[in-house]
Amino acid sequence: MPAAPPALQLTDLAKTYATGVEALKGVSLEIGDGELFGLLGPNGAGKSTLIHCVTGLANPTGGEARIFGNDTRGHYEQARAAVGLAPQDINLDTFLTVFETLDYPGGYFGMAKRDRRERAAELLDAFSLTDKRDTRTRFLSGGMKRRVVLARALMHRPRLLILDEPTAGVDVELRLELWQYVQRINGEGTSVLLTTHYLEEAEQLCDHIAFIDHGLIVDRGTPSELTQRYAVSSLEDAYLQLIGRTELSRAIATDTGELTS
Amino acid sequence: MTTRQIRFFSLLRRELYRFWKIKRQTVAAPLLESFLYISVFGAALGSRVGNLHGVDYVVFIVPGLVLMAWAMNAYMNNASSILQQKMERAIDDQLTSPASPLELLMAFSLGGFVRGGMVSMLTLTGSALLVDVPFEHPFVLALSLALSGMFFAQLGVFTGLRAVNWDDITFIQTFLLQPLIFVGGVFYSATLLPAPFDTITKFDPIYYMIGLVRYGTIGFHEIDITLALGGLFLVTAALVALNVRLFTTGWRLRA
Repeated sequence: MPAAPPALQLTDLAKTYATGVEALKGVSLEIGDGELFGLLGPNGAGKSTLIHCVTGLANPTGGEARIFGNDTRGHYEQARAAVGLAPQDINLDTFLTVFETLDYPGGYFGMAKRDRRERAAELLDAFSLTDKRDTRTRFLSGGMKRRVVLARALMHRPRLLILDEPTAGVDVELRLELWQYVQRINGEGTSVLLTTHYLEEAEQLCDHIAFIDHGLIVDRGTPSELTQRYAVSSLEDAYLQLIGRTELSRAIATDTGELTS
Repeated sequence: MTTRQIRFFSLLRRELYRFWKIKRQTVAAPLLESFLYISVFGAALGSRVGNLHGVDYVVFIVPGLVLMAWAMNAYMNNASSILQQKMERAIDDQLTSPASPLELLMAFSLGGFVRGGMVSMLTLTGSALLVDVPFEHPFVLALSLALSGMFFAQLGVFTGLRAVNWDDITFIQTFLLQPLIFVGGVFYSATLLPAPFDTITKFDPIYYMIGLVRYGTIGFHEIDITLALGGLFLVTAALVALNVRLFTTGWRLRA
């Protein structure tokens, strides 16, 4: 029996913007089916560009991306049908209510009306949005909007869920709820690509992690492989070593020492 | 329904819902505008002008107003819908979906096409109730209105894709479309104009669209109907092809 294709396979993926900025310089990466994969890197490293190239929001200028074996350009229909994206910036249609925000995209992915209603009700419940069902999204708080963005990404039951900084600016409660939910659907077989600045959480959640910097994958491995490789106790220290900012780790340690002494 | 049909109708439903949700602004206001034109120009001016090419002046201006209603609403709807969704990045929902460039284009186009058609048909029906509007060549009328509506719907899509702010849309509307529509002969016949204005009018493409709709309604024409219909079909098809290409490449939509 042939091996299942990886959830995401990038081969020399490159993106140079019209401004001349080289955001991706030939990224090769593989995320296995069912894996929870963390992509970590400083601001401007190329994380969002990589996600945009995979989801069709940006046109790669070189290389290729395959989602479950489907080329994102040649077979974009099959490739995109398998992906759910929760973008970093909240991009809700202010004309629509919370329910409509789930219902329309469900339709864009070919879900039948009854299925959309059932799935929307399920997600509204899962993200504590049921009482906001008929509220227009423009009247929601920041945290509520973030919940809607996450629910929308899950609406069509994607096989690959892409979460771009999903917990940026959200409270602890939602963060914990989200991670629980992500772990649950990952356990049920959904592959997840996650970018986050919360390295501790990435260390706990992710099966594999890749560090990206200046448009290149600079290292990858399991969280324990990475901490062993850099001979440090946490992923955060490994990350700081990798980007050449170990003095920040020492500064935190010194500050903590001063506070506790 | 197949997956593809559900997808297309969801994309289209979204566009129709958008204008219907604010129908006072998108349907009622332009309808009122059309009837103000009929009242002010038709009733007030018509009593002085009297007959024009064998029909009452108020009847003579109805075809131009019907076309203008479809043109302006189709254009504004599509241009503003696309720009607003681009600015909010809500359009990423459609762009990350499995929809093809043609499906996206047709859904965006038909939103304005339907809105324009609705205002236009209500204007025509209302006019027919108020004054005696003949329908001399219904097939030409339907075809020329539909082709003109699609042309302006495509123009709206193109402008929406190109625009980076609201000024880009209103500039085209105020400084290009409205002058061309008025100069195109909504309120007069080009044969009545002195030289060189009668010749200048003939370089206005909207003059031919109004001519077609006027021929379909009251039977009067000062243009070659077959040539005008053929030309309108070709420029509309060219604009559709251009927009398909722009959606395929992701011009000003995908980075």
